[in-house]
Amino acid sequence: MSLKYEKINTERIKKVQIGEEDYPEMLNYIGNPPEKLYYIGDIKIASMPSVAIVGARKATAYGKWAAYGFAKKLSEYEICVVSGMAYGIDAYAHKGAVENQGKTIAVLGCGIDTCYPASNLMLRENILKEGLILSEYEPGVPPLPYRFPMRNRIISGLSIGTIIIEAGLSSGSLITAECAAEQGRNIYALPGNINSMYSFGTNKLIQDGATPLIVFDDIIDELGIKKSSSGSTLEIVLGKDERIVYEAILQSGETTTDSICRRTGKLPSDVNAMVTILEMKGLLQTALGKIFIAK
Amino acid sequence: MYSQVISGTLYGLASEQVIVETDLSAGLPVFNVVGLPDATVRESKERIRAAIMNSGFKFPAKRITINLAPAGTKKEGTHFDLPIAIGVMTSAGFIEKNQTAGFAFLGELSLDGCVNRINGALPLVIGLRNQGIEKIILPKANAEEASAIDDVMLYPAGSLKDIASYFDGGNEITPYERSKKGQPKLIRNELDFCDVAGQESVKRALQIAAAASHNVLLIGSPGAGKTMMARRISSILPAMTYDEKLEVTKIYSIAGELSDHRPMITARPFRSPHHTISGSALVGGGASPKPGEVSLAHYGVLFLDELPEFNRYVLEMLRQPLEDERVTISRIKGSTAFPSKFLLLASMNPCPCGYYGDPTHECSCSPTQIRNYLSKISGPLLDRIDMHIEIMPVKYRELVEIEDLDGNAAKSIPVRDSECMRLEVETARQIQLKRYQEEEISYNSQLTPDLMRKYCVLDKETKKLMETAFQQLSLSARAHHKIIKMGRTIADMEGAEKIGVRHIAEAIRYRSLDKLYRGL
Repeated sequence: MSLKYEKINTERIKKVQIGEEDYPEMLNYIGNPPEKLYYIGDIKIASMPSVAIVGARKATAYGKWAAYGFAKKLSEYEICVVSGMAYGIDAYAHKGAVENQGKTIAVLGCGIDTCYPASNLMLRENILKEGLILSEYEPGVPPLPYRFPMRNRIISGLSIGTIIIEAGLSSGSLITAECAAEQGRNIYALPGNINSMYSFGTNKLIQDGATPLIVFDDIIDELGIKKSSSGSTLEIVLGKDERIVYEAILQSGETTTDSICRRTGKLPSDVNAMVTILEMKGLLQTALGKIFIAK
Repeated sequence: MYSQVISGTLYGLASEQVIVETDLSAGLPVFNVVGLPDATVRESKERIRAAIMNSGFKFPAKRITINLAPAGTKKEGTHFDLPIAIGVMTSAGFIEKNQTAGFAFLGELSLDGCVNRINGALPLVIGLRNQGIEKIILPKANAEEASAIDDVMLYPAGSLKDIASYFDGGNEITPYERSKKGQPKLIRNELDFCDVAGQESVKRALQIAAAASHNVLLIGSPGAGKTMMARRISSILPAMTYDEKLEVTKIYSIAGELSDHRPMITARPFRSPHHTISGSALVGGGASPKPGEVSLAHYGVLFLDELPEFNRYVLEMLRQPLEDERVTISRIKGSTAFPSKFLLLASMNPCPCGYYGDPTHECSCSPTQIRNYLSKISGPLLDRIDMHIEIMPVKYRELVEIEDLDGNAAKSIPVRDSECMRLEVETARQIQLKRYQEEEISYNSQLTPDLMRKYCVLDKETKKLMETAFQQLSLSARAHHKIIKMGRTIADMEGAEKIGVRHIAEAIRYRSLDKLYRGL
């Protein structure tokens, strides 16, 4: 099967050498900094305070939602979000920044003129509007598996800390965590259910000493930023039945319509209607038949 | 010696009268059939010769010419055996010429002179009745099937000999007496929803689908119960009306799917073709068009298990039948239309390995694989599917019992059986039939945008919910109509006059695939 790469206009590509003024500050302090970086966009962004958000390409709805949420939170505090523009968590991290007027950096594991994966072309264009895409590889270098672990050191190297959202036991995100540890940067991990294989890796990281993030604000506290008081605390009014359903979901975390019915004794028709209404109110998320709390 | 008897020929679901002319003249003994007979009719010569001789008559050693008039249209089917044999026997003088006047003949002969079952008896009888024929001699095996038409005299015949002696004044054949006793022979479905533990929300969704014939796609990992539940949907479908039964039986008659055990289709069909099915088997086809699975599922359910495994070009053929509710097959001889008003029920896994999103198994597919798998179902086809229902495997713990909020044993939700579900569906269907009796449609899924403005008025609050849903779930515009139609059905399920917020809210839950396709 031949992969189709989208060729990007090469005129926009610029290059920065180690030692030059524009070379990202943070990379000077890591073990094996890249000699040169190719980039499209504003290289100044790479010297902003930034946090990396990484995770598995194959992610659960919970992971995607969390990646988006952390990126959004960081954007509110003008912290740049660094990630790898892959499917899944990476894509949602970039999206969270792009859609909330934040800055974001995508570090590629291939030549910068190649959009990999090709279906992220739209995302790439969106990132470029406000953000930066960089790579240590020359234009034209194809995406090969061994290059991705290499670029992970740049992702963690650019950032003050790295948040690992979801990772199985053999996920490449754990390599990023390893790089961050070697570089002396902070490692944050999102805890997950212990029976979810998508969270084995992150839970293990927490066991090994990574800081667990249990609410979105945690990352802001951890970075030592003073919180602005303008945080939108939207008061949402719930009806009696809605509250019963909501509480049933709160208790079980991730659940299904049938199990809510069993817990509350309500009919599936009523529960389904209320789930939609709660979802509209932004309290729930649903995906692939599962329902979980969003706030 | 010239004689003529009446028979019929089929074209699609329609039938026309055919005059079988026989002429016996002096000359070398030959037996010719003209009037565009196909291979089955030309072959009938050998059967007729043997049947006449084995019934104790002498086959005339003359130049026999049979003409099937009108001679310009193609004739096919083994039901010409009997009229041709009667023609030969009349011309040969074994049967009095004026005796057969007013009768039509249908039937296949075996070599010993017995009259065998034919295909298409019901549409042939309807066609002959419409052309003013009142007395029809047909095989015994087809009598019950044809008795669905009650203003025509049927004479079921067992053998050629019986017919000859009947016209000689005998009483071997008597008009068929329509038995009143077994009228609504409701065959109890052996598959019942009470076998399904849990999954009440999916059962509810299937009920909505059954009530207004909404097309459904079930998504879930292997073993979650997709097929099990799909197979039980026929047990909750509303009963068929007489006209519906007649129309479905006609199709089955032509397709040769009727038998002594099932002379009439009384329950809604449930068709589940294997995924290796060819295009013409699915929508119908052949040199002389035969109905395909979509027509055999008319007024019933077409179940496509493992939807992405079907050949993509075969699936695309479903688009026209889903839209127009009939299939038009064009061949060089002309075009035939078969009706295809069916409920499409499809099932699929969320990814090639089947476990994407499953709580207990790890999915081993790459994102590209998942994407490719999902893209096997084209947008336009997905567009025509109203409801997307995700099925989660039932956990053992959930099967037994679970604690409620306060730690007490859970309130047990009674497992509903098919009969109680069917009654609710029936009520909702009756409401729709009554509402649309002035219109050309019969249930909600057929609503056109024009009729929706008339029958699906949303109040201010409900409109606001739709608006929010559009922004938050970024629903497509095409999902809009489907949601409102489903909302109409959900309102009908509880007998509500107006579509309320909770009806629409529930309907929105059944459009989950829009998210899955965007969320990767």
